[in-house]
This record gives sequence, C-alpha cells and structure tokens, in this order.
Amino acid sequence: MYLLEHDAKQLLARHNIPAPQGCLLTQPTAVHALPAGPWVVKGQITAGGRGKAGLIKKADSSADVVARAADIIGKTAKGRTVNAVRVEQQVDGASEAYIAMMLDPAAAGVRIIMAAQGGMDIETLPREALKTASAAPDVAALTAAAEKLAAAFPGVAGKALAGAGRAMAAAFLAEEALLIEINPLFVNADGSWLAGDAKFVTDDSALSRQPQQHALLADVCAAYVETRLKDAHGCDYVVVDPEGEIALLTTGAGLSMMLIDEMRGAELKPYNFLDIRTGGLRGETKRLVNVLKWMREGRNVKVLLINIFAGITELGEFSRLLVSALKDVPEFKAPVVARLVGNGMETARGVLADAGITLHSDLDAALAEVRKHLGVKQ
Amino acid sequence: MSLPRIDRSTKVILQGISGRAGRLHSRLMKEYGTNLVGGVSPAKDVREINGIPLFPDCAAAVKATGATVSVALVGAYDLLDAMREAVAAGVKMIVTPTEGMPVHDALKAKRLTQDAGVLWIGGSTPGMAVAETAKLGFLPDVSLKSGPLGLMSKSGTLSYESGFRLAQRGVGTSVWIGVGGDPVKGLRYSDLVPFYAQDAQTRALLIIGEIGGHDEEDFAEALKAQAFAKPVFALIAGKTAPEGVAMGHAGALTYGSHGGYAAKRAALEAAGVTVYDTLNAMVGGVAEKLL
Repeated sequence: MYLLEHDAKQLLARHNIPAPQGCLLTQPTAVHALPAGPWVVKGQITAGGRGKAGLIKKADSSADVVARAADIIGKTAKGRTVNAVRVEQQVDGASEAYIAMMLDPAAAGVRIIMAAQGGMDIETLPREALKTASAAPDVAALTAAAEKLAAAFPGVAGKALAGAGRAMAAAFLAEEALLIEINPLFVNADGSWLAGDAKFVTDDSALSRQPQQHALLADVCAAYVETRLKDAHGCDYVVVDPEGEIALLTTGAGLSMMLIDEMRGAELKPYNFLDIRTGGLRGETKRLVNVLKWMREGRNVKVLLINIFAGITELGEFSRLLVSALKDVPEFKAPVVARLVGNGMETARGVLADAGITLHSDLDAALAEVRKHLGVKQ
Repeated sequence: MSLPRIDRSTKVILQGISGRAGRLHSRLMKEYGTNLVGGVSPAKDVREINGIPLFPDCAAAVKATGATVSVALVGAYDLLDAMREAVAAGVKMIVTPTEGMPVHDALKAKRLTQDAGVLWIGGSTPGMAVAETAKLGFLPDVSLKSGPLGLMSKSGTLSYESGFRLAQRGVGTSVWIGVGGDPVKGLRYSDLVPFYAQDAQTRALLIIGEIGGHDEEDFAEALKAQAFAKPVFALIAGKTAPEGVAMGHAGALTYGSHGGYAAKRAALEAAGVTVYDTLNAMVGGVAEKLL
C-alpha cells in the first residue's frame, strides 16, 4: 500500500529516519498541537504530484495554517479526496539531495538510487547526476552497497547520504518495503539530515506479519480503503469513478482491469473494479451481499454488469448464490446484466432466467443490454 | 526434457495435495494428462489422494518417483519453506500458484532457485500448460487448444478469456506460461524470449501484460537483443487504473510514472510488437496472422 506522507514519516521515524517536526490535522481548526513555525501545510493523499495539484502551501502564522488547511482539506486530486493535512516546520538553509531504495525484480535484490540534487521529479535530472547500485536483500549487503554509493558524493552530501542509506537499508528490510524514496533529503552544513518528503510503498502480502503497518488500516484519514476491504473481506474492490454509472461484479484482476479499459474506450462509465474471487465464495452469499451493499454507495449507478469467466468455478452454483444475494439486498434496485462463460453455463442460464435475468455468453451482447438500460443510443 | 516444455512423461509432484486446492487441482491436472506421480502432505492417515501416492516430504517423493517438477499449493507464508524443500530434493522446476507470497520472501525464493539452477514459475501464477498434453496449475481445459501461439501472461482470468476466444476462432497455443501477477517473480517475460525463439511449435507470441513494474519494458529489450523473428502481439490491462492502488494483483500498482501503461505500450511498439486495445481486436489480429 502506498502510504500517506504522514504515515510514512511516522513509520520511518521508528527506524531512525527523522523528518521535520509536524502533526496531522483532519480539521482546519485544531491547531494547538503545532510545532514552532513557519510551516508547510501538505495535503495527504496516496499519490504523487501534490505540489502541482495545489496541495502543498506555506504558512507564516497559525491563522495562515488554518486558512491553508481549510483550502486543502476536501480537495480532490488524482481521484482521491484530501481528508487531512500534515503541518510541518519549514526547513531553511539546508541543501537538498535524493535517496531511494526499491525492488530490483530482475536481480532479486534492492536497487539504491542517490543524487546530490533533490526536490524535483527525479526523472527530470540528467542520468549522470544519479548514482545507482543493486544489492542482495540482506542488511549487511544493502548497507555496504549504500555506503559505497554515498562515498562517491563529496562533502556533507556524501556524509548525509551514507547515514540515510544505513538507516534506510534497515527500514527497507524490516518493513518489507517495495519502495522508500526520500525526496528531498534535507542536508545541513554539519552533515545532519532530515526527510523532507517520503514516499513509502509497503507489501500488502506481508501485512499480516507487519503489525505497525496493519495498524494503519484504522487510520483516521481512511486512506487505505482498498487494503482494508481486502484484509477484512478477501476480495479486491476499488471505486474507480465515484460518478460511474455501471457497477461491475467481476472476477480476476486482469480481466476486470481490461473490461474497465474497454468500457471507457467505448465511452461507458464503470463505477468500480472488483476481483470477487469466485473460488473463495465457498458456497456462501456473504461476500456477494457485501459487494452489492458497497455498490449502493454509487449515486449514479444505473445498472449492474456481471462478467465472469469460470475456468474452475461452477456457474450454476454461482448463479444460485447471486440470485440469493440479490434477494438479501432488496435495496439494490439497479437492473442486472449477466455475461457468464464456462462450466455449468446451461444450469446457470435456467437459474438466472427464473430470476428474470438473461444470461449472455457474448460480452458485446451484454454491453448492448447495458446501453439499453442506460438509455444510450446503440 | 527441455524445460519449461513439459510432456506426458514429465514426472510431477504436488506439495500440499491434501488441502482443498490440492485435492481439486490434483484431480483436474491428472484428468488432463499430467503425469502426477506423488503428493506431499503431512497427513498421516491418508495413503493416496485421487489415486496419487502420498509422501511425507519432497525428498521422499523425489527419491521414490524421480519427479523433476513440483507444483506447490501451500499457504502464502509457507511457500518459501516449501520451495526450499523442493530445491533441496532436487527438482528442476517449481510452479507456485499460491497468491499473496510476501515480496521479500519472493526475493529470497528467486535467489534460491537461481543459485540452484531451478526454474521457478510464479508466484501468483495461474500455472503453465502444453495444450492437449499436460498442465501444471489452474489453467481451464476449455481455453487450451493445441496450436502455434506461445502465450505468456501475468493475469489468470484475462489469459483464460483470451485463450478461450482464440480457441473458438481456431487459434491454439503451444506453450502457455502464466508468469504471475507478483512484482518479484521467478521467470519473467524477458527470461523466456530465448525459449520461445527456439521452440519449433511456436510461430508467434502473445503477451498479456498489465500495469506495474518493468516486465513489459524488459521484455521489449529482450526481443531486440534476441532479434526475435516471430510476430509478437500484446494486450496490456490497466490503461485507466488509478495511481497508488494495487489492482487485484500485488504487482499491478503504479506510482507516478513508475509502472504506467504509456511507457509499456511505447516500449513494446518500439520493439515491433502489435499492441491491441481490446480483446476482440487482439483475437481478430492474431487469427488473421496465424490462420
């Protein structure tokens, strides 16, 4: 999961990676906990490019902080709503460097990247400004590689990068990170350093054995909705467009993503991504009932499209569960269009017909019925 | 035997055969023609499952059967240990369909298999198959028709649907390899380019990719390095997916420009790959080229 900057900094602080003093505000009023100013007010969303999106502003007085926070909280950027700001002490007089560690899937290791300049998008830096190395995923190898790489930078930058590299190596492995990027790394004249910004991506698959990360799911900002749902319900559900018109009941990540892309390409507006994992239903309607209830939150949802390719799952049984789940959620009133292919299709056709649902085997035919319900001309 | 090409003489064991998935898929694999010679299970009161003899550990199973391939259907947090056991027992290829292996475990597993010269397909792989011969993992029979198209996919379902529609159009597959949806995997698309280049049955190659990571870009580089002479087609899912959210697969996560759709498409097209926007267009394009 892609952590909010505030959560990333809290987690990094446990591994001796300090950041400027700051606090989290979910309301633009509660300012008693502020560190000494002046400040930067930073909107918290799980995506980059926050500066360009107007989510990072400076503030000189506490009244300013409240005004900036009021501006930023509630804004939407990259499809995410800002539910909180981190108010942080401004850092003056420091130079800015760059350090990151990320997976190296080809070498089965960890890639380290360092630069003496930071603060901007790293991809805009000339290649020769970046120094990079790959190391084995153990503390000794990763620390040694980071120190060696830092030694190529003269002066205080090298000293700071070495220190940050040592701490980051330990953090990366202990937290089972996929990416940790500190950009900028503030470097003071004495070689001391602070994390100016932090991008931290953790591994959802390791969540059950990372209690500190698991605790973030209860985060006040509700930033990790998708991971929380998966953790609690065992399926992947992402609202891709809160204004979307077509709820999707689908299985399989790749097929569901592709369906969304194709629908958008055809100017249809899907509401959600879903990998229900039919193999995990185990004869119970619970997961289907939950999903139908979540879909009711889509205020523009006008139709439900079911798209299942069943290689192993028995579609007759799936259809019985579906019809039963729809009965259990009578408040879900949108018409249902079903496209099912695979094992037990003929049984499924009968079960659905009894519930007034036509089974399509062809996706285009199903989409034509979706359009009919939306009142779109064919 | 030229791995990863398997046939009906390839001896296979299944780790975790007494679990729910193990029981189901050992039966389905066996019915398809896979030479499943043993199962590994701690169950003490059972001698066989689906007519397949059980062994207490990999070493015993390999010693008794001469198996060279293992399919591991164990829990995500037990997978690394299961792979260590299989490698120590001397198998030459391991297929791991289990979803949710921690990524740092996958880093260790990749080093382990590489150092031992063992091929690893996974994690989160739907499996692999030589159509109408044998399969390892979950690939549905209805999508498997023998033919000239090599197929590699991160996704299970999107490849099932693709294989099914292609089969309906009369296009079959040669060697189908689900590389899996995890960020760190054993065999990546790029590793398999030399294999498909020399595989005589394969006349063209389809890769089903998705957002996240750099596998598609590295594959494009490998095609160029190989001067790959067969036609290559691609579908890439996740063009319109939001940033910062793992879309079902742990690997399908973009942040900033990292792992985005545009770079993948550009890299593939620069390597001469035909990239399609829809399943229908892909099926039509591939059929036109191969039929």
